[in-house]
Amino acid sequence: MEDTVNNISLFFNFGVPILLLVLAFFIGNMIEKGHFRNIRKREADVHGFPVVSFDTMPEEWRADSCTLVSGSIVISLDYFKRVIAGLRGLVGGRIKTYEPLLERARREALLRMTEAAREQGYDAVFNVRLETSRLANARRDGNGIAGVEMLAFGTAVRFAGRAR
Amino acid sequence: MKYVAKKSKEGVNVSDVHPLVEAGTLVVGLTAIAVAIVLLLVFLVEVALYFVPAETEAELFADWLPEDLVTISPSDDRLYEAQMLVNRLSAHWADAPYPFRVEVDDSSIANAMALPGGLIIVTQGLLDEVESENELAFVLGHELGHFRNRDHLRALGRGLVLALFFTVVTGNDVAGIGINVADITLRGFNREQESDADEFGLALVYAEYGHVDEAWRLFERWDEHRDGMPAVVSYLATHPDAGDRVEQLERLAEARQWPVTGGVTPLKR
Repeated sequence: MEDTVNNISLFFNFGVPILLLVLAFFIGNMIEKGHFRNIRKREADVHGFPVVSFDTMPEEWRADSCTLVSGSIVISLDYFKRVIAGLRGLVGGRIKTYEPLLERARREALLRMTEAAREQGYDAVFNVRLETSRLANARRDGNGIAGVEMLAFGTAVRFAGRAR
Repeated sequence: MKYVAKKSKEGVNVSDVHPLVEAGTLVVGLTAIAVAIVLLLVFLVEVALYFVPAETEAELFADWLPEDLVTISPSDDRLYEAQMLVNRLSAHWADAPYPFRVEVDDSSIANAMALPGGLIIVTQGLLDEVESENELAFVLGHELGHFRNRDHLRALGRGLVLALFFTVVTGNDVAGIGINVADITLRGFNREQESDADEFGLALVYAEYGHVDEAWRLFERWDEHRDGMPAVVSYLATHPDAGDRVEQLERLAEARQWPVTGGVTPLKR
């Protein structure tokens, strides 16, 4: 009887977190790989579309119309990344499990912005900026992190004299 | 200035380390550090023990009793008998550091324990299990053996150190862990400490009775009916396996040429 109780509490204290960790690793990895494949494919599609970060329009560009375009993504960390980052937090150093996560967020946000500009018939985007903000977790008194938002925005322009 | 479209370089912002390698490095590295710290602290406990004389220990824990202990009536004969037996046994221990106090825990679970300050606690359950004075004498002698080797303080020190360490690592509130001295002291005596205590206990029994007849009869009985005895689970959880112990004690008695016959002294009940 005592043994059963011990085993159950052992399972909940160690078994469940380890199970979650393994599950989170495999699912998170699968999702991440898929996302990167998707990003590469779409980046190839918009390849050649000028996206620059100058805050004034390059002189050679002759534009007849412009608009604000933006793309944003909200992305969350998985349990595995969170745990590894927590361990990393004990000794410091690069949080290597977060790097691909934020890389995905940056590239996805830029892609969405670029795709938005192209769909609306614009030819280029300048003054591109990236902003990020943390989404608080509603549980745990808002202290936990639910995820991060990555926002890319810029000024899209249509070149003058282009036939449409 | 001409805009030249180039493919963005992959992996500039991402370390080329597989997440499992990162996880493995961290887990192994941090575990090694934790083990090193714990070993160092345990070593420091040994050093500290050397500097804590028995008089200081006796002073610190003179009137101390575990908080959750429910004792039987102080006028109970069994308490008196156990105390007298401990006094007789410890009389054979020439340099006993302090007088030993016996308390009887009002619990049906069989157990006996050695706690800081020379406090020996036996449970009612254990007193119900023993069938002769010789059996009880050996159990009490064994606990006296823990005092001789200062196992109780070592365990207390280690327990405190580990509790503090895990509190710091897990980030819990230090004040909130509620260190229970009795709990910590009982957590772990290792096999060697147990057999050292057995040896000392049996020597005391021999000194008292001139033989070791029936001294470990209690464990033989427990070994014979190992199933269906929930009452002794507690004692066996904090002490070695009854069967192994009987064998070890038989070998010890033979090696020391302590007679294993001589008649038992009945309990005064």
